[in-house]
Amino acid sequence: MSGQPVLELESVEYSYRRNTALRGVSLELKPGEVVAVTGASGCGKSTLLHCAAGILAPDAGVVRVDGQDLSALPEERRAALRRTKVGIVLQFGQLVPDLPLIDNVALPLLLDGHERGEAHVAARHWLEQVGIADDADAVPSELSGGQTQRAALARALVTGPSVVLADEPTGSLDSRAGQELLDVLLQAARYRGAALLMVTHDNVVASSADREIRLRDGLIQHEVSLR
Amino acid sequence: MATAELVLGLLSSGPAHGYDVKRGHDAWFPDSRPLAFGQVYTTLGRLERDGLVEVVDKTSGGGPDRTVYALTSKGRDHLADWLTDPVPPAWGSADEVLRKLVAAIRTGGDAAGFLARQRASHLRRIRELRETPADDDPTSPLVREYIVAHLDADLRWLDSALDRISEQRGAHQ
Repeated sequence: MSGQPVLELESVEYSYRRNTALRGVSLELKPGEVVAVTGASGCGKSTLLHCAAGILAPDAGVVRVDGQDLSALPEERRAALRRTKVGIVLQFGQLVPDLPLIDNVALPLLLDGHERGEAHVAARHWLEQVGIADDADAVPSELSGGQTQRAALARALVTGPSVVLADEPTGSLDSRAGQELLDVLLQAARYRGAALLMVTHDNVVASSADREIRLRDGLIQHEVSLR
Repeated sequence: MATAELVLGLLSSGPAHGYDVKRGHDAWFPDSRPLAFGQVYTTLGRLERDGLVEVVDKTSGGGPDRTVYALTSKGRDHLADWLTDPVPPAWGSADEVLRKLVAAIRTGGDAAGFLARQRASHLRRIRELRETPADDDPTSPLVREYIVAHLDADLRWLDSALDRISEQRGAHQ
């Protein structure tokens, strides 16, 4: 794993009204690297992921994606960078309920101005990669939790992001479905060459990472190599 | 069971005779089986033979034998190495993890560092088990799942131990 970091957080701080969630967290992800962020509930790990994704703007510190400081970009360019360079998988998939899977997965490309036919070709390719191409015309309510998460993963990868951010990706699944999704997640990120930052409280998920960063009270408690 | 290393840990605060070592051990682990006198003296004899402890005082006569042992520098290095290395994750390894953790705290070692390394060691073992190719033996996945479940339980305990040590450290700062 070498090259310039695809994601850098430098002394990031964030507070929700009276609650300080992050107290100066720094980390970086190299291309293709898999990092697990662990820690007890409320330690700041989801806030870290939301700051990394540009969903939350840090109170202090810098977030860089592919070397670009998110806070230095105008909103429009920040949103475009987020759409194209960062893929996000949340715990419950967060698919658009009325859209067939093929359209759900194609959505980031359509929002980015791609032509519909081209977006569908790319979406079908990623539905195949995550093993649910046969469900392309189903709507989310017809899917299991595991299929929903696979679709969310396909949507996260369809733009060819440099980094995939996954917040408790297996958290809504039973043990076996969780393990299957984890395998698909790792394979797909590897196939794409994307770095993967996973927030998880699941030790099996954490064990698949190259590195573990454990948070406690908004600070890094320890960082260990798992290779 | 790492009795030898625990004896070194018990001697790390200063020279002591066998009776003190036994009493110290039983105070460190009040819920486990008391250390037998025979085992203490056998262990001290072996440690002396290996140059890890030395006799610094010996009084005999009417009363009981009062041989006082002290750590050598080699013994101190051996103890430091033992407290640094994570325990190879295997069946029953949790007992030794607990022994090391107690010894690290009692001797002023880096308990949080040890727990972090132990956590990494357990996570690596889970990944190895997950990456082991399937074979034809129908019992293999059952055995693997059993070991992973136990390593996962160890990890949950390691997490709470890490948090407790961090809290205690915060309270003392």
